[in-house]
Order: sequence, then structure tokens, then C-alpha cells
Amino acid sequence: MSRRLHIEVFRYNPLDPESKPHMQSFYVNEYDSMTLFIALNIIRDQHDPTLQFDFCCRAGICGSCGMVINGRPGLACHTQTKDLPEHIVLHPLPVFKLIGDLSVDTGVWFRDAGTRIEAWVHNDHDSFDPTQEEARMENALANEIFELDRCVECGCCIAACGTARMRTDFLGAASIARVARFYLDPRDERNVENYYEVIGNDQGVFGCMGLLACEDVCPKHIPLQDQLGIMRRMLALHSVKGILPKALIEKLAHKGCCHENHKS
Amino acid sequence: MNSSTITLHAPAKTKTQGRLDVLQMISGVLLILFLWAHMLLVSSVIIGPGVMNAIAWFFEETYMAQVGGPLIGLLIFVHFLLAARKMPWKTSESEAFIKHSVMMKHRDTWMWLAQVATALIILVMAFIHMWVVLTDLPITAVKSAARIQHGGWLPFYLVLLPIAESHVGIGFYRIGVKYGVITADNRNWYKRKEYALMGGFIVIGLITLVRFMYLPLYSGM
Ligand code: HEM
Ligand code: SF4
Ligand code: SF4
Ligand code: FES
Repeated sequence: MSRRLHIEVFRYNPLDPESKPHMQSFYVNEYDSMTLFIALNIIRDQHDPTLQFDFCCRAGICGSCGMVINGRPGLACHTQTKDLPEHIVLHPLPVFKLIGDLSVDTGVWFRDAGTRIEAWVHNDHDSFDPTQEEARMENALANEIFELDRCVECGCCIAACGTARMRTDFLGAASIARVARFYLDPRDERNVENYYEVIGNDQGVFGCMGLLACEDVCPKHIPLQDQLGIMRRMLALHSVKGILPKALIEKLAHKGCCHENHKS
Repeated sequence: MNSSTITLHAPAKTKTQGRLDVLQMISGVLLILFLWAHMLLVSSVIIGPGVMNAIAWFFEETYMAQVGGPLIGLLIFVHFLLAARKMPWKTSESEAFIKHSVMMKHRDTWMWLAQVATALIILVMAFIHMWVVLTDLPITAVKSAARIQHGGWLPFYLVLLPIAESHVGIGFYRIGVKYGVITADNRNWYKRKEYALMGGFIVIGLITLVRFMYLPLYSGM
């Protein structure tokens, strides 16, 4: 039995002085395994060619179709309409700069965050020899790094984060998990002190208030909660080195989940 | 680096923000332990006013009440200063957060708002409560009962009890989350335990209040 979906979309074109933010309703006939991405394309094809929204891969890979779906940030291409009620309300992701309607600019935000956390491999090598064989890595470790590398920078975790919404300089879960990815990687020769410099502050790990909306919305199921906990604990303990007894810090550092295989 | 530090060519290295976070966590943990201990001590009146009086006598004889009381007051104040760093004091912040909670319909997000709201109420009520009790030593079951039966304090405690317990319960859960003790795997388990603990303490508190309401004021003592 197919439903007639009532899709209510946020409309606003910041470049048009006449345009005022408002909601517009569209009606679309649902069919089997329809995704929101398909529904939006139908609207654009058949109802309103001016509707702006982003997509590219339609397979949850490029991260461009993030939007607020009935209050929760998610990927349009990753969301099947059968999992939603008949009435669907769509908003652009908050926090990011609005391009128009459902389209936002996540790129500038993530580039800025990437610069602030220095999201590249740091080492002291004098030069890079492209003819040399790559250093080997245990498969298990490579998998662990890949697990965090799967982030598609869709921005859902940032838009879902109350802290990021209140405080524009908060780096958010994706950035902190990204640092965790470098922390795991033996090719990145930064030490705890260096990581502390980039995220050991209220814009980084200590700004997070543990609301866990990031964890609950991430469409790629990146283990954000655990990484936030690991990084915060590591950096908090680093900040009290020399104050608390060494043995106690060692003990706390190795309680629960940990990146055991990283040299520190 | 941001626009206010951009002129500092080499930003100073400091561990302050990490240390403040640790201090906030420690102040929170100490207050949790205090609140639970406090609840268990006061609820001894359920067993009998004599038990509560004996405990109170012990705490005063050893000056733990006279010294510890103000110390707890100080601890609450320090905790307030530390936690206030995270509170949405700016109108733009609180508006953004409230709008966000309404949009998300996400329990953990709402819980933080609850923690901020309860915090402000506790800030006022905890100090009134401490003032009243500590300026009227010794603590006895009959005096407490009199306050509740005739002093009009029952509504006061009926508000403070659930508010303090929720603030502490949510705080307990979030300390676990923040420091990676509560992980994605055991989050639901901890959440259930936390609700049970919170409910349990509120029930003990209510029973204690009922006991005070019906404690005879003019016999025994
Ligand atoms: C004096 C008034 C108080 C104020 C203004 C206050 C404020 C706050 C705020 C805003 C938070 C959240 C901080 C964050 O999200 O990072 C918090 C956390 C907490 N509060 Fe309070 N609080 C007060 C009193 C108390 C009392 C009396 C207790 C216990 C008896 C308590 C126990 C806790 C705990 C355990 C946490 C979690 C700590 C953390 O997340 O690091 N608070 N408080
Ligand atoms: S962590 Fe998840 S929600 Fe956040 S940007 Fe990456 S994929 Fe998107
Ligand atoms: S856990 Fe931290 S990063 Fe995630 S939504 Fe909450 S405050 Fe934001
Ligand atoms: S279109 Fe690429 S993630 Fe949705």
C-alpha cells in the first residue's frame, strides 16, 4: 500500500533580497525502497526546479546530503521514507553556512577544523623517499584506523551537538575523532603534549558536555562516544601529570577502553 | 587561534583548561558522595529518631558538622564556579540550546538543560537549607520534624529533594560518559542503573519526609 507523503521543506535563498525563510509543502507518492534523496529529486523534477539541496554519491559516501529530517540530522540518501511518518519536515543543517534551502556549506567548516587540529601526519623526517617501500602495519591496527577514517564529514554530528550550536568555535565530535585517528597511527609522531595543544581546551575535548547526540545521529556509526571519552581522559590526565601520583595516572589511563597499541 | 589571540605570535602553552575540567569532575564526584552519605544519615530517622540523634551527636561532638558543613558549602560554591563556565549565560546561547533541544527531541540533550535549570535552583535552596540547619545546632530529629510540621518547610524539601537528586543523577551519568567509563556498549545498562538509583534515593527521601511529618514532637526527648 503506497502512501502519499507530505514533505515540508524549508525554503530560503540568502542571495535573493526578496526571499523570506518559510516552509513549503510538497506531495509525493511513495514507492518501494524510496529514499529521501529520490523523493527530493522527484520534487525538483516535477514540482519546483529551484529547490536547492546537495547530493552526489547517493550511497552515503560523499557526505553532501546531510539535512535535518524531522528534527534529527541525517543523510537524505541513507534514509528510507518507509522509516519515516507520512509527514516529513526537512531543514538545512544548523551551524553551517546556508547556501539556500536545504543546501549548506560543510566544506569551509571542516577545512577550518582540519587546520586547527592539524589533520595531517606529523613527523621529523628530513625528506620523503617515494621509492622506499611503505612501512608495514599490523592489519588489526590498520582496521582500527580505518574504522575512524570512515567519517564522510557530513556534519550531522556537528549539527546535532548542542555545544557546537551554542559555541561556534567548538570543534565537535568529528574533529576529535579525527585526532584520535592520528593518535592511533604510528606514522604520526606527535606525542600527547602535541595533541593537547590542539584539542586540550574548551574548544576541543573539554568543551564536550557528553550529550551524545553526535553518537546517536552519526550515519556512519563512527564510535564517537568512545573516542571522545578516550581522548578526554588521556588529555585530562596529561594536564595533571606531576600533580597526581604517577602510579595513579597510569592506572586510570588503562582502565576501560584504550588505545593500547600506541606508543606514548 | 582566534581573532583575539591572533596577535600573540606564540600562544602560551597552558594546562589550565584540562586541570579545570578535572577539578570540575572531582568537585562533582565529591558532591555526589556527599549527597548520598547525607541522604543515608538523615534517613536513619526511619529506623528511629534515636538513631538519627546519635549520628548527629557524633558529627557534632567530633566537630564534623560545624567544620564539614561550611566546607561542603565552599565545595558547592567552587563547583558552581567551575560548572558555570559551561552554562549558557548568554541569551543567544540559551536560546540556541533550547531551540536545539526542541528540534532534536533527544533525551540526553534535554537532560543537560535539566541539569542547568536544577543547578540554579539548588544554588539558592542548598544555601538556605544549610543556613537554617547549621545556625540552629544541635541537629535533632524533633527539631527537624518541627520544621516540617509547623515551620512550613515541607514544600521546600519536596522541591529540593527531587531537584538535587536529578542534578546529581544526571551528573553521575555524564561524568561517566565524559571520561569514557560509560562506553557505547554499556551506556544503556548504566542509564537504567542511574534511573533506578535516582528513583531509589528520591523514594528514601520521601519516606524520610513522611517519617518527619508523623514524628511525635513532645515525647521521648
Ligand atoms: C550550587 C549550585 C550548583 C550549580 C550552579 C551547579 C551547576 C552545574 C552545572 C551547570 C553542571 C553541568 C556542567 C557541564 O555540563 O559541564 C553541573 C554538573 C554537576 N553537578 Fe552541579 N551545580 C550545583 C550544585 C551541585 C550540588 C549541590 C551537587 C551535588 C550534591 C552537584 C553535582 C554535580 C555533578 C555530579 C555534576 C557533573 C559534573 C561534571 O559533569 O563534570 N552540583 N553542575
Ligand atoms: S563523524 Fe559521522 S556524523 Fe560526524 S561528520 Fe563524520 S560521518 Fe558525519
Ligand atoms: S557528546 Fe560532546 S561532541 Fe557529542 S553532541 Fe555531546 S557535546 Fe557534542
Ligand atoms: S549523496 Fe553522498 S552521502 Fe548522500
